[in-house]
Amino acid sequence: MAALDLLGGGFLAAFQFWYFMTIVTGLLVGVVAGALPGISFVNAMAMALPFTYVMEPTQSMLFLGGIYVGGVFGGSISAILINVPGTPASLPATWDGYPMTKRGEAKRALTIAVTASAVGGLVSALVLTFLSAPFASFALKFSQPEFFAATLLGLVSVIAIAKDQPVITMVSLLLGIAVGTVGVDPLYGQARFSFGVPEMESGVRFVVVMIGLFAIGEVVDLLATDRDLRPKKTGGKAIGAGFRDILNVKGAIARGTGIGCLIGMIPGAGATPGAVIAYGIEKQVSKRGKEFGTGVEEGLAAPESAKNATTGAAMVPLLTLGIPGSAATAIMLAAMMLHGVSPGPLLFIMDPSMVYTIFAAMIIANVLMIFAGIGVAQLFSTLMRTPPAILAAFIIVLSVVGAFGVRNNIFDVYVCLAFGVLGWGMKRVGFPSAPLVLGVILGPLAERYFLTSMANAKQDWTVFFTRPISATILGLALLFILWSLVPSLRGALRRRH
Amino acid sequence: MASIQNKKRHQTPRTGGRLPPGLGLLLPTLLPFGLLVMAVILPGFMFESDQTASTIGLGPAAWPEAILRAMAVFCVLWIARDVWVLGAAGRQPTLSFPVEDDHYHFGKAIVGLLLIIAYGWSLPLFGFAVTTTIFIGIWCLFGGLRNLMVVVPVAVIGTIALLWLFMGLALMPLPRGQGIFDNFSIWLLRATGIY
Amino acid sequence: MKVFGKMAVGAALMTSAMTISGAALAQGYPDRPVELIVTFGPGGGADLMGRTMAQLMEGPLGVSIPVSNVGGASGNAGLTQLRTNPADGYTMGTLISLTVASWASGLGDNKPEDFEVIAVVQSSPSFLFVPASGDHQTAEALFAFAQENPGAITVATSGYGTQDDVTLKLLANAGIEMENVPFQAPAERYASPIGGHTSAIYEEPGDVAQFIQAGQLTPVVVFSAERHPEFPDVPTSAELGIDISGLDNYRSIAVAAGTPDDVVEKLAQAVATATASDEWQAFCTKTYSCITPVTGEAAQAMVSDFRDLIAAQLAN
Repeated sequence: MAALDLLGGGFLAAFQFWYFMTIVTGLLVGVVAGALPGISFVNAMAMALPFTYVMEPTQSMLFLGGIYVGGVFGGSISAILINVPGTPASLPATWDGYPMTKRGEAKRALTIAVTASAVGGLVSALVLTFLSAPFASFALKFSQPEFFAATLLGLVSVIAIAKDQPVITMVSLLLGIAVGTVGVDPLYGQARFSFGVPEMESGVRFVVVMIGLFAIGEVVDLLATDRDLRPKKTGGKAIGAGFRDILNVKGAIARGTGIGCLIGMIPGAGATPGAVIAYGIEKQVSKRGKEFGTGVEEGLAAPESAKNATTGAAMVPLLTLGIPGSAATAIMLAAMMLHGVSPGPLLFIMDPSMVYTIFAAMIIANVLMIFAGIGVAQLFSTLMRTPPAILAAFIIVLSVVGAFGVRNNIFDVYVCLAFGVLGWGMKRVGFPSAPLVLGVILGPLAERYFLTSMANAKQDWTVFFTRPISATILGLALLFILWSLVPSLRGALRRRH
Repeated sequence: MASIQNKKRHQTPRTGGRLPPGLGLLLPTLLPFGLLVMAVILPGFMFESDQTASTIGLGPAAWPEAILRAMAVFCVLWIARDVWVLGAAGRQPTLSFPVEDDHYHFGKAIVGLLLIIAYGWSLPLFGFAVTTTIFIGIWCLFGGLRNLMVVVPVAVIGTIALLWLFMGLALMPLPRGQGIFDNFSIWLLRATGIY
Repeated sequence: MKVFGKMAVGAALMTSAMTISGAALAQGYPDRPVELIVTFGPGGGADLMGRTMAQLMEGPLGVSIPVSNVGGASGNAGLTQLRTNPADGYTMGTLISLTVASWASGLGDNKPEDFEVIAVVQSSPSFLFVPASGDHQTAEALFAFAQENPGAITVATSGYGTQDDVTLKLLANAGIEMENVPFQAPAERYASPIGGHTSAIYEEPGDVAQFIQAGQLTPVVVFSAERHPEFPDVPTSAELGIDISGLDNYRSIAVAAGTPDDVVEKLAQAVATATASDEWQAFCTKTYSCITPVTGEAAQAMVSDFRDLIAAQLAN
């Protein structure tokens, strides 16, 4: 029970005044930054990195960990309230969260979201604390073919979540993957589709595409419909979420958490595919699957718990192996290295108190997140009372700053604006934009996993089917496609008769 | 937050702000053709003329070509379905216009888009501070907020708060502008204590 | 009423800000923050070098040095920004060998002449590492196996058309044929030999220091003219009969060409002060990359020669 003793010591350390305040500050910074349209939590963590120079190593990890946990949730606040995901992982929250807001159930949606996120995050933090070692060796078994299979599963789950025709969803998804191929290719270092513009060689980043498609399109619609963002007054029952509401979605939360924990450990994947896969699976499993997209509680709870369940799991390979699986954990690695601390197996032997303080802090941060989340959500609901014109102007400015901040590059602002116009047009003709964004996120990952797998197998494509884990995941993906196509095939047959 | 759809006030027909019906049928039918053409011709533009694609392994062109080909196939499926559908009366094309809850002002949307594009385009020329102040001001006026006693302070204080947050605290190198605008931005950044 | 309340807060903030700013004014260059563009995303070797250097140069220059990560196109996106910003010394950038190699394979429109290299501050030869669980624990065994079974040994590298690729090609020319398996993400590259998915990895020791110390990766051969002082037991490739050197990984600080000489001089002094500090020595020791900084014409020549060398090798 050495682990419990160490964890106890970790809790004692984490509850010291300055450490505790660091966690709280990080959490609040994360939730607010995540909730601001345009500023993603990865952005916020990169901006926070210089502040960690003056902190001691443990404290800097608590600060960044707080931002990470808070930021992954924060994006859902703006997704639920104004249909603009603050962070790519919050994309699914716009599908069932925003319709709830339209019904006047914003508060209920936010309560369900924050509870689901906290539960997911907490379980994930416990997994990190107690199962790091077995999970780490499990993670090492995964290689490029498995990563490719998992990414493919994320891509096909888009078909399952589609409200639209599968054919159009596929076109949108493939268009997104094609957009993702712009710029230097991952293996050969050759620029593609640059059309002679040097800036195009840097490629198109998904955050920039997402900001353009969602934030700008939404703001223009806001202007054009004279819509009001002020909270809708509704009578009686539908104000907040009770304990009962949460109990009703406990199955969705459990499934989402499980999926998130597994996906989180896969390097490169992270919160967004976790949330999307959880939504897709929940849609198939839930009794109300057909109603998904109209404001169903399960459809909100499952992806919310999944995306926060990736936070702790993503830190497993970072802390145990010294291998960061995502942009967020890469920034944490940088913070540790700048302090001369190298994560990896040696860290557990050389400085276990630091490791267990981080574990304790992750647990504390997820509990505190319920309060921070609700507090900031309250603040944002209040902000909605400002005149829509002012709000819209600031959303645009924040979006532009966010697009710029991804790589401190003005060209990304132009790309963002181009996708803003495109997104507006797509919305007007009813062409779905969510599959496109997911294509841009997952496409480049799928490409490099595919090409590296092939290079490692002497260009033999059977490698994806001869490795047991990869074959299993691919089988799941195939099942998933068939399962989700059943209703539309049945519909087509019925129409014929 | 929630869109207030006061149904009593909006008695205007739902089609009020939408495209004319003819265009409404034409656009969704033409879109897959456009995408198909794109998917077919784009592989030819993948590399610049002075580049030669690497020949080790699958090469850098394999993946994008496969994706574009798959996209072409799905576009053909889409077109096939539309042709089949349009042959029979009373059916809708695969892509259908969204039904708006509210009246949609197309003119206002276009002007809004142009304003946003102008904002992005002038950022590197006039710098973040100047452009943002003007943009917030114009947008508020355009959005129906006519009280200058509100608009001007919101634009000025808002911009300075953003400057403080992003250039001061987060150390982002937001554009300062060219020529005298650069000098002005540097002066402003010093005056606000950021530099 | 609310608006006026906000205005009052804003005004108070502004006045307090103005009083702080008075003290920050200095004489001559630099009189405002000098931006350092790190040409890769946060967390990598270039980022760590840039951030450490920025911290250490703040003292001698007397201004703050904010770091901005401008990743993309093998570092060319950031360099394009460095080149097009005014050449007044208020923008510096990281210029590393990987980016120079990318010019040789036709990427970007940057040239060695576009930049003035202040100093090359880090350099390290690359090694082949094998996992502790691997079948071949010495270079002789590894090479012998590769000679008998061409292409059976897989080596994790950073890509085709890089120094890594050139080294493997030179080995193949000498009859030691190994399969190049490029991994774009460094983390996945390090994980692959440790997880047993590739037989070896080509890397500089600084980037895999924690894995060497944990005993997960073992260096078997160094591609350099001399043995590395930190790894005296690891033979050079020349000792094994294949002379491969001059392909070291280096990292430098550069400004745009046309920057005034006195500004360059001031920056060079600041870099010299920084590299002489204990903090820098600790940093470069930990990353096995300490060198005597190369400055001026020699640094400039190092960059253009390296590009020509890679271009010549790739043309073969």
